[in-house]
Amino acid sequence: MSTSHHDRSHHAKKATGKGDPQCFRGEAGPPKFKVGDRVRIKDLPDIFYTRCQVYTRGALCTVAALVYESPAAEDEAWDNTDKPEWFYSLIFRQKDLWPDYPDTYANDTVETELSERWLEKA
Amino acid sequence: MSTRSEVIKHINLVGQLQPALHHPQHAPYPDAIDHNLYRAYLRSSHDVGGEPDVPIRWEEKEEELWELNTFATCECLAWRGVWNAEERRRRQNVDLGQTQYLGLPYYGRWLLTAARIMVDKQYVTLTELVNKIDEVKKRHEHKSPR
Repeated sequence: MSTSHHDRSHHAKKATGKGDPQCFRGEAGPPKFKVGDRVRIKDLPDIFYTRCQVYTRGALCTVAALVYESPAAEDEAWDNTDKPEWFYSLIFRQKDLWPDYPDTYANDTVETELSERWLEKA
Repeated sequence: MSTRSEVIKHINLVGQLQPALHHPQHAPYPDAIDHNLYRAYLRSSHDVGGEPDVPIRWEEKEEELWELNTFATCECLAWRGVWNAEERRRRQNVDLGQTQYLGLPYYGRWLLTAARIMVDKQYVTLTELVNKIDEVKKRHEHKSPR
């Protein structure tokens, strides 16, 4: 059986004593967006794996918080951890997501976290 | 599965698990797959938000011993660097495909995925795994007949 040359403890070494995602702090560079910004979710090709819900694609939302720096799910799912990104907590109006959402609940929102690659200035 | 009649029963059951598309889809020619259909096929099976569905009954259920053991095993695989949580999720929620994602119990997917990564990353060969499962099945055949 062939053996892998990949250091399978690289992540444990980095995170020990700090935690994850804290171990990626300071590695994503300056964030592109700030709290209160209006952004739109990009409709990137999403083959093989993503955590970016299809129902958010093309929808407008507001940045509620910059939550942490971490490799994007699409990278981390193959153990690629060398390009951390900013993660944002985003608030959508339910009315903007679901065409048939009742007007009675027009103020309903949903909040979810996505990495920076999925966002563009609205 | 030992007799021919059991083999045929298995094949018929697999046929029933096919996603319920309402027209035959086996090995289509390229011009039969437009961009919409391509995207529908390629979508990550865990991304179910917004899909039309019916309510399901919620039941309180405590974890069974094998489920707790499965969780501990998967955590040990992470602790030893075999995978991280995101790779585990990719494998157990998406790589399995829609039929298994929707059709198998939650911890069944964890357990299957733990076995799969041991083979994929060459900690065991599939031959070793198959022989072990066969050995254990034979040992338990009389204890827990199906």
